[in-house]
Amino acid sequence: MAADVSCRGYEALYAMLLRLYPRPFRERFGEGMAQTFQDLCRERLDARRILFGFALWAFFETSVGIARENATHMTQLREPMLRAALVALGLLMVPLVASQVVDGWNWPPGTFVFAYVMFFGTALAYALIARKMGAWAYKAGVGLALVAGFAMGWSTMVRMSETENPANLVYFGVLTVGAVGAWLARLEARGMALALFAMAAGLAVVGVISVLVSPDVPSGGVPSMALMHGVFVALFTASGLLFRHASVAGLK
Amino acid sequence: MAKKDAAQAPLTPAVLHILLALSAEERHGYGIMKQVEADSQGKVKMGPGTLYGSIGRMMEAGLIRESDKRLDPEMAGGRRIYYKLTGAGRAALEAELKRYRGVVAVAEGLLAYGR
Repeated sequence: MAADVSCRGYEALYAMLLRLYPRPFRERFGEGMAQTFQDLCRERLDARRILFGFALWAFFETSVGIARENATHMTQLREPMLRAALVALGLLMVPLVASQVVDGWNWPPGTFVFAYVMFFGTALAYALIARKMGAWAYKAGVGLALVAGFAMGWSTMVRMSETENPANLVYFGVLTVGAVGAWLARLEARGMALALFAMAAGLAVVGVISVLVSPDVPSGGVPSMALMHGVFVALFTASGLLFRHASVAGLK
Repeated sequence: MAKKDAAQAPLTPAVLHILLALSAEERHGYGIMKQVEADSQGKVKMGPGTLYGSIGRMMEAGLIRESDKRLDPEMAGGRRIYYKLTGAGRAALEAELKRYRGVVAVAEGLLAYGR
């Protein structure tokens, strides 16, 4: 009876250890590994052999496997990181060239670094998320959502630096809704569609409220403000529709 | 290309033992472990980390594939995923055994010459 309890304890610990594997590996083999560990435990239990030595060996051996698989996983990330770095460098050329030829475009060096980090982060996010599914609609949905999110985040930061109005933080709230939604959906197309529709709906509500009650918008700025919100709502909705298309196509 | 390379390159001991264990029939993870232990007369004891790491790489190389998920009538517990050899896996095993036979022939010739 006591041995059976200790066997269950080791199995629970082993299941926790398996969580250290990279997610793709864990999703593919975690169940089989836990089952095999359980089989080995039961075998020793039936033979009335001590479990501690076996558990220690299995934990150590699996830890070596975890280190190896994580190293392999990191190596596989090297290529998308390199691509993202090159794409970000290409995109950085736009403001770099513009600062040379456009009057009044005087970014300090720190802004270029910040812009590069933002470009790199967005490109890497695309590279890592888009490979989740082969469907063109999914990849297009990811691209559109990231471009729209990047543009909205960037324009919000510019606006905040000019007006210092904390109400602008609500736009980061919309982006957070998307990020949390994507996390909850585990990047599955159907959940991603819902996350993007939630972003579009949230932004539409923010747009209506800001057009109706915002005190610091001049009357002439209302149409452009409404247009701006409309464009982003349309982009997030289009991205959501692409994800929904990918989801439906994936079910067929 | 990768699959062709995998069939021609020398195999690691773990991969060779897993291919041997699967050469006669489909097996689940625990079944492979036990068969490897039996084939090596208890000299090779493979843990879950080594076994499933090797299975992952072998599946990527096209040497083995998942068969199905079913109950093992001889064991308690739920359904288990079974693995089976592919054509490329069998070819890799045969090529490796041929290579081993070549090495043994050379070694025996050298030892006979040395006597």
